[in-house]
Parts: sequence; C-alpha cells; structure tokens
Amino acid sequence: MSKSGKKKSKISTKVIYVFLSILAVVYLLPLLWVIYVSLKDDKTLFVSPWALPEHLMIENYSFAWTAGKLGVATLNSAIVCGVTLLLCLLVGSMAAFAIGRMRWKLSGAMMTYFLTGMMIPVHCILIPVFTRFSKMHLTNSLTGLILPYLTLSLPITIFIMTGFFQSLPNELFESACIDGCSIYRSFTHIALPLSRTGLFVTGLMTFVANWNELLLAMVFISDDNKKTLPVSLSKFVGPYNTNYSQMFAAIVIAIIPTIVVYCMFSNQIVDGLTAGAVKG
Amino acid sequence: MDKLLRDKKAIFVFVAPAFLLFTFVLFIPICQSVYYSFCEYNALTKPKFIGFENYRQLFTIDRTMKIALKNSMFFLIFSVVTQLIAGLVLAALLTNIKKGRDFFKNVYYLPCVLSSAALGLLWMFVFTPKLGINQVLAQFGIKGPLWLMDTKGFIILPMWVIASVSLWQYVGQSMMLYMAQISGISNSLYEASYIDGCTKAQSFRYITLPLIRPMVATAMSLNAIGSLKFFDLIFNMTEGGPNHMTDVLATHLYQQGFKYFKYGYASAIGTILLVLCLIVTFIINKFVKVDNYEM
Amino acid sequence: MKKKVLSVLLSTAMIASVLAGCGGGGTESAPAADGGSTESAPAADGGSTESAPAADGGSAEAEAPAADSAASGDVEEITWMFWDDLNATEDLISIGYKDTVERFNKDYEGKYHVNVVTTNLEEYYAKLNALVAAGETPDCFIVSPGPNLDVYVEPGVAADLTEYIKADGWIDTFNGGEGAFSQQTYDGKIYAVPLNIAAACVFYNTEMFEAAGITTMPTDWQGMLDACEKLQGAGYTPLTISAGTAWCLSMLAGYLCDSEGVDLAAIDSGSASWLDPKVVSATNKLVEISQYFQPTAAGDTNDVATANFYNEEAAMLIQGSWAIAQINGANPDFEGKCGVFAFPGTDGRVIAKSDSLAMSATTAHPDAVIAFMKYFTDDTAQKYTAEVGGKIPVTTVEYDATKAPAQLAYVMDVFGNAKSTFGFYNESMATTEAGAFFDDTMVSIYLGTPVEDGLASLEDFYKNNVWNK
Repeated sequence: MSKSGKKKSKISTKVIYVFLSILAVVYLLPLLWVIYVSLKDDKTLFVSPWALPEHLMIENYSFAWTAGKLGVATLNSAIVCGVTLLLCLLVGSMAAFAIGRMRWKLSGAMMTYFLTGMMIPVHCILIPVFTRFSKMHLTNSLTGLILPYLTLSLPITIFIMTGFFQSLPNELFESACIDGCSIYRSFTHIALPLSRTGLFVTGLMTFVANWNELLLAMVFISDDNKKTLPVSLSKFVGPYNTNYSQMFAAIVIAIIPTIVVYCMFSNQIVDGLTAGAVKG
Repeated sequence: MDKLLRDKKAIFVFVAPAFLLFTFVLFIPICQSVYYSFCEYNALTKPKFIGFENYRQLFTIDRTMKIALKNSMFFLIFSVVTQLIAGLVLAALLTNIKKGRDFFKNVYYLPCVLSSAALGLLWMFVFTPKLGINQVLAQFGIKGPLWLMDTKGFIILPMWVIASVSLWQYVGQSMMLYMAQISGISNSLYEASYIDGCTKAQSFRYITLPLIRPMVATAMSLNAIGSLKFFDLIFNMTEGGPNHMTDVLATHLYQQGFKYFKYGYASAIGTILLVLCLIVTFIINKFVKVDNYEM
Repeated sequence: MKKKVLSVLLSTAMIASVLAGCGGGGTESAPAADGGSTESAPAADGGSTESAPAADGGSAEAEAPAADSAASGDVEEITWMFWDDLNATEDLISIGYKDTVERFNKDYEGKYHVNVVTTNLEEYYAKLNALVAAGETPDCFIVSPGPNLDVYVEPGVAADLTEYIKADGWIDTFNGGEGAFSQQTYDGKIYAVPLNIAAACVFYNTEMFEAAGITTMPTDWQGMLDACEKLQGAGYTPLTISAGTAWCLSMLAGYLCDSEGVDLAAIDSGSASWLDPKVVSATNKLVEISQYFQPTAAGDTNDVATANFYNEEAAMLIQGSWAIAQINGANPDFEGKCGVFAFPGTDGRVIAKSDSLAMSATTAHPDAVIAFMKYFTDDTAQKYTAEVGGKIPVTTVEYDATKAPAQLAYVMDVFGNAKSTFGFYNESMATTEAGAFFDDTMVSIYLGTPVEDGLASLEDFYKNNVWNK
C-alpha cells in the first residue's frame, strides 16, 4: 500500500474513534444520570433536576436495600435466571441441532412451530398459563417461574442457535463421521464447542430477558421471600406517588449484578471470537 | 454420514424435551388464547362463544386499533431498517479497530442488559418538560417541543422519540449478533482478498455481507417480531397517551386485557399480532435468506 | 417406523392442543396420550373442567387450605391482597394498614392469621383477576368502588356482607350508618366495607394569595377566574395540574361538568347525550381556565404537578386529600402555608373517594375475614386515618385534631359543609374503559382538539360500547 493510503486510513481510524466516543457518551450519560438521581431526595429532584445534590443521600441505598428486601430478591433472581439459562441452553441447542443439522422432513415445520412462541405477547397467555400452573400447584414457587421462563426463552434460543449450527462447515461432521463419531458425540464435541459465541450471545439475551421480567413474576409469586428483583423494584411505586430517588437507588443496586455477569460473559465472548479466528 | 443425520431416534431425543415443554407451557395456552378471541370473556366469568364479533369490532369501530396498527407498522419499518444499518455499521467498525473494541462493544450493549421498564422511566424523566432536555435547551434560549405529548402530524413526534430510544437500547443486540457471525468467517478469506487488492470496504461488501446473510435474516426477523410486540418502553414512557396516540398493538392489548378485562377482545388483538408476525417473518425469510455458504 | 412415531407425536400434540383450546369443557387428558410418562402431571388434574375457572371453581380449592390449617393447630390462615408494598411504602395510609395487620395477627395469635399479598397498583387487577380465574381468590381484597367493584359483584366473586355488617352494631359505628355504604350497595346488599374517605379540594398557597391581594376564597366560577387573573398579575403561576396523568385533569373536568348540572346517570342509561349543551359549556370552561395552568402542564406527571405546588412554584393545586401526606412529607415547612377550599361553583357538592375491602364469596373463613375487616374500622385504625394519614375517617371516632395535619381540618370543613358528595367522574361511569375514555378526551381537548370533535368521539364511544349493551 502507498504512503498516502496509510495516512488516509489513519485519519479514517481517528474519525471512527471520534464517532464511537461520541456514541459512547450518548450511551453512558443517561445511565450516569440514574446514579446521580439516586443520590438526591425527591424534593430537590423536582426543583433542580440537574443541579448537584447538596448532600448525598446514601440512606436512599440502605432504605432501598432493607425495605425492598433486595438481598433475598437478588438471590431469587439469580437462582431463577441461572437455572433457566443452563436448562435453556441445553434443551434449546439440542433442538436447534436437530433442526439445523439433521435431515428430516418435519424440521421446517418444527421450526415454524417453535417460532410461534416468539410471536405472541406474554399478556395473551398469562391467564391460561396461570390457571394451568395453579392447578398443578406450581404457582408461588421458584420452579413455577423457571418453567415458563425456560419455555419462553426456548424459541429465541432455538432460532438463533439453528442459524449458528447451520453455518458450521459440513466437512467437520463428515470427518468426524469417518472417525466413527456418534451423532451425540458430534453434538457435544463438535457442534457445541464451535458455537460457543452463539451460546454466549443467546445465553446473555435470555438471561437478561428473564432477569428483567416483571409481569409473570408479579402474578405468579405472592410470597414476599420468593419475589424476584423487578417485582421488588416496583415496590417503590405507590398508588398515588412514587419514591423516585429511592427507586433509582434500588435500580442501581439491581443493575450491578447484571453488569458483573455481563462483564464475565463478555470476556467469554472475546475468547469465542478468538477461537473463531483460530479455527479459520 | 447421511445415515447418521437421518437417525430418527437421535432426532427424537434431541427435539423431545423442547417440544414437550413448548407444547404444554406455551402452545396449548396460545391455542386457548386463540379460542378466547372468539369469545366474550373477562377472566372472571365463563367464556361465551360469539364468533367473529371481536374481530368485527376491532376492524370497524375501534379507533385506537387503527392508530395502533399505524404505529406498529411505523415501528416495524423504522426498527428493522435502522437496526440493520446501525447494527451492521457498528459491527463493521468494531471488528476493524483494535484498541478499545471491548470497551465500546460493552458500552453499546449495556442498555440491552438493563430493564426496559427502568430505562423507560429514565427516558420519560429526560423528556418531561419540567425536568429534562427542555430545561437544558432553555439555557440556550430554545423552547423545546412537547417530546411526549405533541399530537401533530401523521407519525407524531412522541413516536419518533420512542423509536429512537428503542434504537438506542436495542442496537447493541443486532451489533452483537453480527459481530458473532463475522467472527466465524475465516481470516484466510480476507487475507486472500487483500492479496487480490481488495480494500476493506470491498472485502466487507463481497465477503462479509454475503457470509452473514443468514444472520441478517435472523436478526431482522428478531427485530421485526420484537418491534411488533414492543411494549415496555412505550408503556413506561407514555402508557399509550396522550389519548391513545402512541398506542401500539401490544399496549392496546394490555389495556383491553388487563385494564378493562376484555380478555377475549385482547386475545383477538393477540391473534392479529401473531398473524402479522408470521407474515413478516415469512417475507423476511423469503427475500433475505439464501442457501448456506460453505465457510 | 420411527418416522411414523414422530409424525404421530406432532399431529396428536397439535390436535390435543386444539382440543384443549376449543373444547373448553373438554377433557384435558388428551395431551397425556403423547406426553408419555414425563409429563403426566397435567393429565392428573386435567380431568376437571377447564372452562370453569370462575367463582364456582374456587369452592373445591378453598377446602384444601382449610384442611391444612386444621392439621397445623387450628390457626385459620387468610390472605389479604393490597396494592402497595407495606414495607417499602412511604404512603402514610399504607403504613397505617401495616399496623392494622400486625395488631390483628398479634391479638388473634393462635386463632387467625392474615398473610398479605402485595403488588403495585399497576399490576394489581391483573394479578387479582388471574387468581380469581384460577379459583384462588384471596379471602379479602381491596378495591375501588364504582365499575371496579361492579366486575367482582356481578359474577358473584365478592361476597354479600350485609348480614355481617348489620350484626353486633358494627354498622352503627359508621358515620351516617347505612349511608356510609352507598357506593358499595347493589340492590340493597352491601358488598364492600369503606375504610376512609378522600375528598378532592383546591389546595392553595396562602402567602401567594395574600401577595396577590385575594382576601376571600372564590365561591363561584367567575370568582375563580378573577383569582387566577390576580395571581397571574402578581407574577405567580395560578394553577398547577397534570395533563400527563390524565385523571388529574379529568378531576377538574368532573367538577366542571357537575357544576353545570350534567347528569351522569342519565348519560350512562342513554337518556342524555355527551353533546348536551351542559357538557359543551363545562368543557368550554375547562379550555377557559387552562390558560392559567403552568406552561409545562401538558407534559407534567402527577408527581411533578404536585411538586410544583409544594415547591411554591404555583398557587393552587386541585387534588384529592391523599396529597396532604405527600405535600407535608416532601416539604414539612409548607404545612403552615397551605390552605384548602372547596372547588367553587359546585353548589356544595364534593368529589369523594374511598378505599374498600371486599370478601371472596368462596372463602372458607368468613369469620376470620370479618374480624380482620373490623380491625380497619376500629377506633385505633380510624384515629390513625385522621391524625396521621390525613384522610377522613368513616366511623364516628373522636380524634385529636391538633395531631392531624393542618390541612385535614380544612378538608373536614369542606367535607362537613358539603351538601352531597359524588364519586370521581372516571369511577362513576358505566365501565372503567368509559371513565378512561372521558379522561383521554379531556386531555385531547386541552391539547387542542376542538370541543365539538372531542365530545363527538366520546358520544361515538358510548354508542358503540355502552348504550348498545
């Protein structure tokens, strides 16, 4: 490449960085504002929303933590979302493997069948599902929440993972087959490891969706000690007025585990990316 | 090899758990809900079969339904187009830089991991005239518009605002999907193209784009379905107001089903939503998806 | 062979689910046929009728917990469902309810125990109705009178409480006796117990009124407009209101309609129209006074509009008396400057709203529920309602007026001088949806829709949804 070409690419890199940085500000500013609001009290929040708080309302956090029972709620959310995540990845990628890689007549129909689950809003099926679960004595328990979460996460998992499995090269499976590898083994030892990126992305998506789910959790769980985080956050919304600053404090507390989990996962994704590059 | 892939027992083992779960927890309730859409049913009394009456009302006398359909279509087109372009651009830019890639990627994906309800509340604050942007604009002597209450025009301002916020929140998702797929493309293809004298833009056009096309179809379908079902942000920013001007199908469904408990009527809206989703997915897959490339 | 199995599996599942959906009363056991051993659970109970989730399904379920409690030492467990979290709330009335629950559980230890199930108001009715549909109606639940209560009375979800209320002189403790239950009575039967009353009044900033030279409170419409004019002349924002939260604006519209003599019952029954000149005139008044609203009224939420008032950025606020706790809580210094007067020109009529308790018609422990309800209307609870909560007690309890917030005395004056009360407009219409439609119409008129067009759409809605039923 010529010298001018290199210079040009340097300038364009700079432009890219400036653009990305501005965008990053647009993303971070509102989130920082949440933290900022959480340190005010309601009165000053309405008088001067942008002014610095006169004294930091750290007590918002302690109140939110104890009154909202956020500790137990975080644990519940972690159990529900963690179990759901693992089961969903296993069950979902199994089905996706059969649909995306194996050859059978009904695979297309099966895919469409699973897809319908993604297309109907949860509000529509809330009452039938609740009635059914209540007859099975599954309401007001974490298991009763894991089952619908798992099922609701399946369509998207299957949908995305099928795409990933389909894009795997045929030769790998052919050579494995020649080596006498069973279909189960080729699933666990070839398909799954090679689709790690896909697993992490879908895992992240389903984890996040369930972590933030409110309506099902609100309707299914009555016991205060089994409530999940989003339900606990809504405790700060009163019938006539809302404790905004305390609610924002609770939101900040609720966000932290998500960010921790996310950072762990995102490093895994980086590994996945490198693995993908090495593979080629 | 072929025999292995046609192993019926293995297929059964792989599909059965998902199939059973799905059928019992999701599919049967969906069918029930479709049945309720032909009933007068308020969840407190027994459903009473009334044929197509709910649908007739929806399409003839329900004015909110017209607004909701219009807004949902706007939302669908806006998010599919903008998410595709913005997602691809971000993914392309991020795969081409070395320093800070993780940082930027994490930042852009961050809103996806946060609850839409909380973010909706936050943005409602930002667009409240007394509290947010308008106070900042006022410092410069600009009188800001009524971001969430203006009702002029075919697509009203609040819809543009909400659509932009949703782009802000969800573009990270598309970006991640595209990045994950791009990472699966073998480096040797790019190296070969550079040797042949391709620029980065050209290799993006002729290698990356065709190879990630299946993922484009996947991501577009996800966006399309997601935007038709879109609920949280609108519900928390405007609740469909003022006077239902920002209602979409899902918020209309929620109000009819859970505020006024016309559960049968709400199920009819849900069924229409389902049909729309099926049509849109079919169209996207028909026109975008192509046979798999060997990589 | 295996292929056959698979396709059979697929098709039976589809058929089964269609059956389950459309059959309604059909057997639910069909899915078990292909479900195999793993999913036998739904089949076990599926034999019962699916289509009867309502009241009648409850009786069978209700017996189960009774048997449980008998085994565990004769404590009758009941559930109470409420729309605010009792631990995280700052709402003083909710905190009072928490005390009531604790007192009840302590006093009846070993005999009765109440478990509280809470959601926030947004999801309250969704959860309640899902529980009713599943046959698990909570033994006791809070509900707003009006169309919200109608939906539980009509299908028989709420129990008739008349005999309990009339027994043991309970009814005599209520202020006005049977009259206290007017909003909860259907065909002479009482279906819910009111706990407290909130009245909608005009709150005003005494300092601003003084500075604007207003010495007597307005008593008619012209007086109200003059006061607004004077306040504006003195450099104040006369009125803070929220059009972002539709019911706030609608409360003002309700007062205006009532003072014009609009007969809501006649409209509901179809003998009067929304295009009536009285309604038009009321709506024109709304447009007229809207020039005195704070400039951001269109986008302000209820919380912001109230904050404008207690932060002394506007002179008047039209709100229910529940706002007292919010105002004094956020700005304690403001209590001394805050006055209250009745909305002018209504001929002595005041908007009132009460929280009410209903009992499940299928409860296995009616005596425990009634005992629990009585704790809400006993002297301790009612004293708290007035002295701390700032709402009007429903019973004839004596309370210490000096302990109560200053504004309560004014509200009590307004309430005491009222010739009659009427419900919130949006809670007095044929359905909750009609009420919300009224709210939305008023907001759209405020935002610029011509009065005639707005009312015509309301008329249309009634034609299609109310009058044809």
